Amino acid sequence: MAIRAFLIVLSCLAAATCRGATFSSLQQTLIVTASPQPAQVLKAGEDEITVTWSLNSTFPAGVDSSYKTVTIKLCYAPISQKYRGWRKTVDNLVKDKTCQHKIVANKPYISSSSNNTFTSTVLRDVPTATYFIRAYAQNSEGDEVAYGQTTDSHKAVNLFEIQAITGRHVSLDIASICFSAFSILSLFGFFFLEKRKSKASESK
Amino acid sequence: MEGSPGTSMHGVTGREPVLAFSVASPMVPTDKTAHFDLPVDSEHKAKKFKLFSLANPHMRTFHLSWISFFTCFVSTFAAAPLVPIIRDNLNLTKGDIGNAGVASVSGSIFSRLVMGAVCDLLGPRYGCAFLVMMTAPTVFCMSFVSSAGGYVAVRFMIGFSLATFVSCQYWMSTMFNSQIIGLVNGTAAGWGNMGGGATQLLMPLLFEIIKSAGATPFTAWRIAFFIPGWLHIIMGLLVLTLGQDLPDGNLSTLQKKGEVAKDKFGKVLWYAVTNYRTWIFVLLYGYSMGVELSTDNVIAEYFYDRFDLKLHTAGVIAATFGMANLLARPFGGFASDYMARHFGMRGRLWTLWTLQTMGGVFCILLGRATSLPVAIAHMIIFSIGAQAACGATFGVVPFISRRSLGIISGLTGAGGNFGSGLTQLLFFTNAKHSTGTGLSYMGIMIVACTLPVAAIHFPQWGSMFFPPSKGVVEEHYYIKEYTEDEREKNMHLGNIKFAENSRSERGGNRVVSEATPPHA
Repeated sequence: MAIRAFLIVLSCLAAATCRGATFSSLQQTLIVTASPQPAQVLKAGEDEITVTWSLNSTFPAGVDSSYKTVTIKLCYAPISQKYRGWRKTVDNLVKDKTCQHKIVANKPYISSSSNNTFTSTVLRDVPTATYFIRAYAQNSEGDEVAYGQTTDSHKAVNLFEIQAITGRHVSLDIASICFSAFSILSLFGFFFLEKRKSKASESK
Repeated sequence: MEGSPGTSMHGVTGREPVLAFSVASPMVPTDKTAHFDLPVDSEHKAKKFKLFSLANPHMRTFHLSWISFFTCFVSTFAAAPLVPIIRDNLNLTKGDIGNAGVASVSGSIFSRLVMGAVCDLLGPRYGCAFLVMMTAPTVFCMSFVSSAGGYVAVRFMIGFSLATFVSCQYWMSTMFNSQIIGLVNGTAAGWGNMGGGATQLLMPLLFEIIKSAGATPFTAWRIAFFIPGWLHIIMGLLVLTLGQDLPDGNLSTLQKKGEVAKDKFGKVLWYAVTNYRTWIFVLLYGYSMGVELSTDNVIAEYFYDRFDLKLHTAGVIAATFGMANLLARPFGGFASDYMARHFGMRGRLWTLWTLQTMGGVFCILLGRATSLPVAIAHMIIFSIGAQAACGATFGVVPFISRRSLGIISGLTGAGGNFGSGLTQLLFFTNAKHSTGTGLSYMGIMIVACTLPVAAIHFPQWGSMFFPPSKGVVEEHYYIKEYTEDEREKNMHLGNIKFAENSRSERGGNRVVSEATPPHA
């Protein structure tokens, strides 16, 4: 009796955490293509990505009746997820960390057009890694209902790389050297000055 | 001679409570000819601890000293709350992050050993200033880092600065009478450790400000590191201009008076190393202080990843872990003293075991927490347990040996850093398990490695489970530190006095009931 009550409480808790949509429940109804060629290396902050998406016409009409907006993201390929638990792929989309960088955010979905395109420069906070591109179709509540991606289901083909900015600047390097030199010089300056003063007072 | 092993503890009788605020005149005579802000003894060391004063030289030294130590903690753990940004900038793996954490605590194992000698040669003022100002360039080096190897190397070099612990304690012992040195050193150490918490608050805040000023994230974190670097330089200059080595002036301009029997380093080391209790405490401190340092390195990232928090929110939560040092560490010492009054040494040992095991249990629970409020609650209790255990550790350490106390304290401190490096290597470097799992395993290891407290047995006072050996008194234990020859030279007289005064460790009513046998 107590065990049953415990299991009910446990399942309620589990259900609460599983409120988000799961990736495996999504239909792959979108076709997505992007400008980066396989194994091409793009530079963050400089190069552009052009993404084109459309509905896969092999699906019955009306499958996209609930699609209201489209969000397109850069997603990590498995090789960039290795040894990096903070990029883990999880079925629950609320907890999934595969796609962390947005290219297009909540653009309205136009079902009639088969030529949706967007071009943007790779942002400067995108890290060095291997990526593919995925588009999510969202309903009016913002929940994901369908997707499409530039790679296959194993995430093994059509991957490209992005080279991040280093974050270093010549001005920072120079400032760093200046302050370090100041620290060392003032320390030894003090030391030898005091030594000389005490020698002078001793000899008096 | 000033600074030879154990001299800072000469005069400690073992009877003074850890939290004495001042020592009254009959116990230690006041030097009425001296003109200092605080009452002083014959060596011009302060007999009173006045917290909110900046009077030269005693309280000013206290504040310069603990703030320098605090600054070094800030810079050593400055990278920890920014790891979510740094790991993307430098393309780090979990192994790289773990190795950097290990490196950040390993460097000081060696630098602390060297620091003792440096303080002997140059005095604590220059010891502190040299360390703080020569590690400032290592902090500024973060602007050059572009790979995992560079990151690990820079964190290793910054970690050397934690040796300010030694200069801090050394400097306190030149300025404060040994009857109150326990409280003074404990407060300075605890408040310095708070830097590990303050940095979790400071660095994300600086990062956000610099980012909103227009910098891109991968540059903003590098700029943020300039602030700890400037703090190093500022504290170094303050120490040089406002500080002095001794109450009456600086080392190089003073002639040392008075004679203290000089002890042989080899002998002191031998008695430290051959006492099995030393090694148990080396292990124990690794699982109170050590896990505190490890947690400082991983806790912000843990909250950021597991609960999807913003960077500065994770930083605020992580900060509460380290900031608990303000009260938790002194509380541990106080609890140890309080239990000793009723139950003697057995009370101290049980207090230490209880606090450290409580910390371990809540560390296990912290790793398994699935909701944010529960995780925070578990983290706070874990922090209190671990930090109070640090305080309680040094409630027992002064009784292990009087002759070798300096070295035993040093070894215990090194054990803390070693434990930290080990736990980070074992539990937070492998990508196969998450940080949460690592925390739980670390908690299990804490509980297991705290069990050896039961093995600490003082023949004159007993242990956690066993009563004292029949007919053994304090003198028997403390006299054994000197050989027959040394006793003939009367080198052991300080120990006799110490033994007499340590009878309070019998606890409760035993102190009065048992007669003291005549000296051997």
